[in-house]
Amino acid sequence: MSTAMLAAPFQAEFDANSQEFSFAGVVRPRSVDEIAQSISMFRNAIEEARGVLYINVKRLAQMNNTAFHAFSRVVLDACRTRSDIRFVVVTSSVVGWTERMFRHLGKIEPQISVEVYDSKFYPGQAFVEDTSFIPILRTQTKMTWRHERKILPRHGMRPGITMADICCGIGDFAVLVRKEFQPARIVALDHSKASLAYARDVASNFGISDIEYSYGDASEMLLEDNQFDLVTCRHSLQIFNQPDLLLKELYRICKPGGRVYITNEKNSHCLGEPRAQSIQWTYNEVAKLFAHFEMDVELGPKSRRYLADAGFDDILVESFMVTNQDGDPQDFADIITAWENVYAGEMAVKRGDPPEFIERFRQGFRDHIFAALHPKGYAGWPIWAASGRKPL
Amino acid sequence: MNAAHRQPTETKFEPLLQFEMEMGTFLSDWHHCDQLSTYMARMISHNRTDPLRHSNFFSSALNELLEVSFRGGSPEGRIGCAVYRQGPKERVKLSFPCPPGQRQFFREAVARTNGNDAYARYLDALSTDLAPSREVVLLDLAINFDAEIRLEEQDPPSITIVVDLPLEGIVS
Repeated sequence: MSTAMLAAPFQAEFDANSQEFSFAGVVRPRSVDEIAQSISMFRNAIEEARGVLYINVKRLAQMNNTAFHAFSRVVLDACRTRSDIRFVVVTSSVVGWTERMFRHLGKIEPQISVEVYDSKFYPGQAFVEDTSFIPILRTQTKMTWRHERKILPRHGMRPGITMADICCGIGDFAVLVRKEFQPARIVALDHSKASLAYARDVASNFGISDIEYSYGDASEMLLEDNQFDLVTCRHSLQIFNQPDLLLKELYRICKPGGRVYITNEKNSHCLGEPRAQSIQWTYNEVAKLFAHFEMDVELGPKSRRYLADAGFDDILVESFMVTNQDGDPQDFADIITAWENVYAGEMAVKRGDPPEFIERFRQGFRDHIFAALHPKGYAGWPIWAASGRKPL
Repeated sequence: MNAAHRQPTETKFEPLLQFEMEMGTFLSDWHHCDQLSTYMARMISHNRTDPLRHSNFFSSALNELLEVSFRGGSPEGRIGCAVYRQGPKERVKLSFPCPPGQRQFFREAVARTNGNDAYARYLDALSTDLAPSREVVLLDLAINFDAEIRLEEQDPPSITIVVDLPLEGIVS
């Protein structure tokens, strides 16, 4: 068993612009001599820094006491010689031991503080992680699954593969995939503890014990490189303020020759008849509203560019329309009702929109519901599914 | 709590995984600590609530223990490591040949992990020591991993460090 197989390489980097020193990977030296170069780099960064130096350990998967002690020594010594500098250690709520170990430094020197980075750092994330949204997420997956189960084999889904569903939400997609395609291994990761609790509960109720649900930050995953034949990430790049960063992580954990599958929307293309104009206006405003909170719900057709920029080849892009004719029209109407509640009832309010705007905004959703439930009506919600292969 | 008091609960710990190897082989490569801790952590964490994070936590703790035995063990004899489970706890029993001169050190270091001044000692070591001693490593396990640590010495020249890790509660 080679070390390279197990341990992610250790990286230490200094970004002078943001005054951030980052440690990433696994660092378990036998002696300080093995990390002397990183220690020296760290010392130089501190000498160069003014005001606040951020120490980012969000992607530090492992650090033994030898390394921890050595790096702590540098920071503590600096506190004693430099009263003009403060240190902010940014740990991750995902890598629990970092939070527990680094917090002690603040007890020794008041110039050191420790911040735990988690999902609250993502703009607008709270809206879509609200537990009241869970029933609607189930309905959404139920409606998209009718389409996805047919197209997934084109994007690399087949029995016996190892797969990861990143930003798995309430885990229902993983359960459906497991039943339909029997992958050998499924890891399902999300950074909403409430969604994961729900997912585990559902899995337990159905006697499913072989989906590995994990709490994690999709942009800073503990998962190692080149692990999965297929990595899926549905409806998530569009609500993430740095989709390219997320895609980089999906690329990293995918095996060479494996595929990454993403689905995203273009909300302004939601449509309905009758009352098309009102519906169109509202969904154009939805796109603007999400943009205000640094989310791009117009990302769908940009999938090809994103995948290409991330280094994928053999890119396949297709779209499908979820409509009121997919099963029970009331399901479609329920989804729109939930959107209205969150987008008009919470997000627009938070943006500070006037009541008359919110009323008109709501009307478009109501007209979309009207179209969905009308005996001769048509209501649609378009989704772009795309995948790319990680080059061999 | 002494070992005698713990005896009744001993039977409730179910064995999960164990390895044994020649101490000389183990000491031949420092990376064995990392490799063994990573591998064992993955194996025993697969059916925990959050396998990925449990494995990460467990690997951290086990690696430190293996490093203690690497730095403090003698090359004759065998190293053995067994992992057991009881509910939310894993128990690690790490046995390795220990030179007579170091046995007292281990007794004292383990006793200090249960002392009222454990945290103060830990902070003091972080604050002033140039490098972590094996005592600090054991304090780290007690403080950062909520570990309960004791020593067994029934099989000289080997000693056995027994560490109970309630990681499931911390991780999930």
